[in-house]
Amino acid sequence: MRSRILVACFLLTVATTAAWAHHAFAAEFDATKPVRLQGTVTRMEWINPHAWIHIDVKKPDGKVEKWMVEGGTPNTLLRRGFTKHSVNYGTAIIVDGYQAKDGSNKANGRDLTLSDGRKLFMGSSGTGAPRDGRDPIEPKR
Amino acid sequence: MSLLGFCQWLEKTPWSIALHESLWVYPIVESVHVLTLCWFLGLAVMVDLRLVGLALRRVPVSQVAGQLGPWMVAGFAVMAASGALLFYAIPVRTYLNIFFRIKVGMLALAGVNAWVFQKTVYRRVAKWDLDAAPPRGARLAAWVSLALWVCIVVAGRMIAYNWFDPPGVH
Repeated sequence: MRSRILVACFLLTVATTAAWAHHAFAAEFDATKPVRLQGTVTRMEWINPHAWIHIDVKKPDGKVEKWMVEGGTPNTLLRRGFTKHSVNYGTAIIVDGYQAKDGSNKANGRDLTLSDGRKLFMGSSGTGAPRDGRDPIEPKR
Repeated sequence: MSLLGFCQWLEKTPWSIALHESLWVYPIVESVHVLTLCWFLGLAVMVDLRLVGLALRRVPVSQVAGQLGPWMVAGFAVMAASGALLFYAIPVRTYLNIFFRIKVGMLALAGVNAWVFQKTVYRRVAKWDLDAAPPRGARLAAWVSLALWVCIVVAGRMIAYNWFDPPGVH
């Protein structure tokens, strides 16, 4: 009986650990605040434990807002066909994601669309971000 | 050169770039850091519990400290080395992170606490080696150690969150 409880605890730990990333989506981002950001890339940080894409978003009034969009690890991105040079300085992109809970110009990136219509997924699903089935790699519920 | 300047230089070195861009090495280093934390801290907790008089009460303190000590040092060495690598991978953001600073401060305090313990009350261990409840100085050092390590681990885990990162720094 005791060993069965131990095994159950162990399996539960393994299962929850596998679902963790570096930090959970819900700790920093708000699933009820979806954002669509259209802008140009100013910097791509291809780094562990989360990649970041910095973009300049031009508002209708002409003002430029600086945004940072978080993605998965380089490993996660590579598995989704994303490379270090998929987006470079000046690349025009549209990012769909979720804004930071603190209201700052940070977002968790769900996917991005290039000007030729190609979509790249940013590997945010699986860390607690809402799943909508668009990312073919995300596990089915 | 300021500390921040040093971190900015460090971040541009080829090995730092290789580490933070790596597909596997970074997560492996992270795992080694956590595993050796368990190794070191598990043993440290047992020594501390002996010192406060809660565990291994019939084993002489010098036996507990002497037998586990070398293993603790080995675990600490790998933990510190892997921690240094994690810092080396992401120096600027880590240096600016408030939780990292708290962690380093607590680590220094834990070091001072262990050093004072070694140089004072532990010098006279022969006198209280077999006491189930060691003298107040030893108990105090052990409680301080336990409290500090709780803070160190929690602060370390919090480095992952960017709640207080300055704008433009991930």
